[in-house]
Amino acid sequence: MNTALLYLVLLKATLTSFAGLASLPVVHEELVVQRHVLSDEKLNEAVVITRSTPGPVGLYVVSVGYFAGGVSGAIAGWLAMITPAFLILPLLRFAAGRAEHPRARSALHAVVVASAGLLLAAAVPLGLSALTSPVTVLIALVTVGLMLLTKVDTLWIIVGAALTTLTLSSVTPLLSL
Amino acid sequence: MGARPTLASLARAFVRYANVTFGGGSATTAVLHRALVEERRWLKPERFALIYALARLTPGTNLLALCTGVGWQLRGWRGAVIALLAASVPCSLIVIIVTYFFEQWSQNRLAQLAIHGAVAAAVGITVVTCWTISKPYFKSRHWLRAALIGGGAFTIAVVFVIPPIRILLAAAVLGLLWPARSS
Repeated sequence: MNTALLYLVLLKATLTSFAGLASLPVVHEELVVQRHVLSDEKLNEAVVITRSTPGPVGLYVVSVGYFAGGVSGAIAGWLAMITPAFLILPLLRFAAGRAEHPRARSALHAVVVASAGLLLAAAVPLGLSALTSPVTVLIALVTVGLMLLTKVDTLWIIVGAALTTLTLSSVTPLLSL
Repeated sequence: MGARPTLASLARAFVRYANVTFGGGSATTAVLHRALVEERRWLKPERFALIYALARLTPGTNLLALCTGVGWQLRGWRGAVIALLAASVPCSLIVIIVTYFFEQWSQNRLAQLAIHGAVAAAVGITVVTCWTISKPYFKSRHWLRAALIGGGAFTIAVVFVIPPIRILLAAAVLGLLWPARSS
């Protein structure tokens, strides 16, 4: 895929989201569904990679860029990730007093809540491709429980999940994962 | 207030504190607050809080907008660019290296098994992220409005094939026309 086009597609995703993973539905729609340059598995792996390395969650677009277009794709992803950050400068200079305007705030709330709903919708195909056995379903459920009830770092959850499927398969070779 | 930092000390601070934290933006924000406001006294707490609030209104990764805003506040345009580069280049390089090895190892059977488990955990993480994003709105008085808009977006995206960006724009228009009474 053309690097400039990849940048524009990823920029569209980052510009229309207000939190790290909230850009996922647009990335999924554009790169997996429309253009077929990425599979559901690869998109899942990109999320795993950036959850197990330091830095903000939004970094997953760098990983997506690498999967879609190698090193130049990763640079396109990095640019798409950092470009929207400059929008804080006009906000900081001119709009500091207006951010609390009721209608502006209300529109923003609606966008944030809708983006959460879209993220859940994007998790459906990811789940269908990743949760193919009782063990993987259990891992996903335990992950949800750990994240809601404890402050365990996601890195350790991912490492634990990886070790679980690894050891279970050596203990019980019949278990199809 | 402490002295205005040099561009080099600004870069060092952001390389050191914006790239090291696991677990996403809110943990890193706390680390940055401690390093820049409490220890170095480069910014007043109120100024940091204002920049943080505006960063949340900025599209994309909030943490990077926060770093850009703080850099601009301290050293103008050059400070903004240096803070953004210092906060995003090191962790991006780590991601590229890890993604490279991930691709190499994906042929290996043992690595495949481990990746299988890790990817299952990622599905759980994605679901929890939906809740983390929307939780403040469900805990406010406007929970029904949040449930209708969030649930509506989910249903439309799952049932109909409509590009997400149109659903987000529709939500923005709906929010403008249907303002929540300020709480």
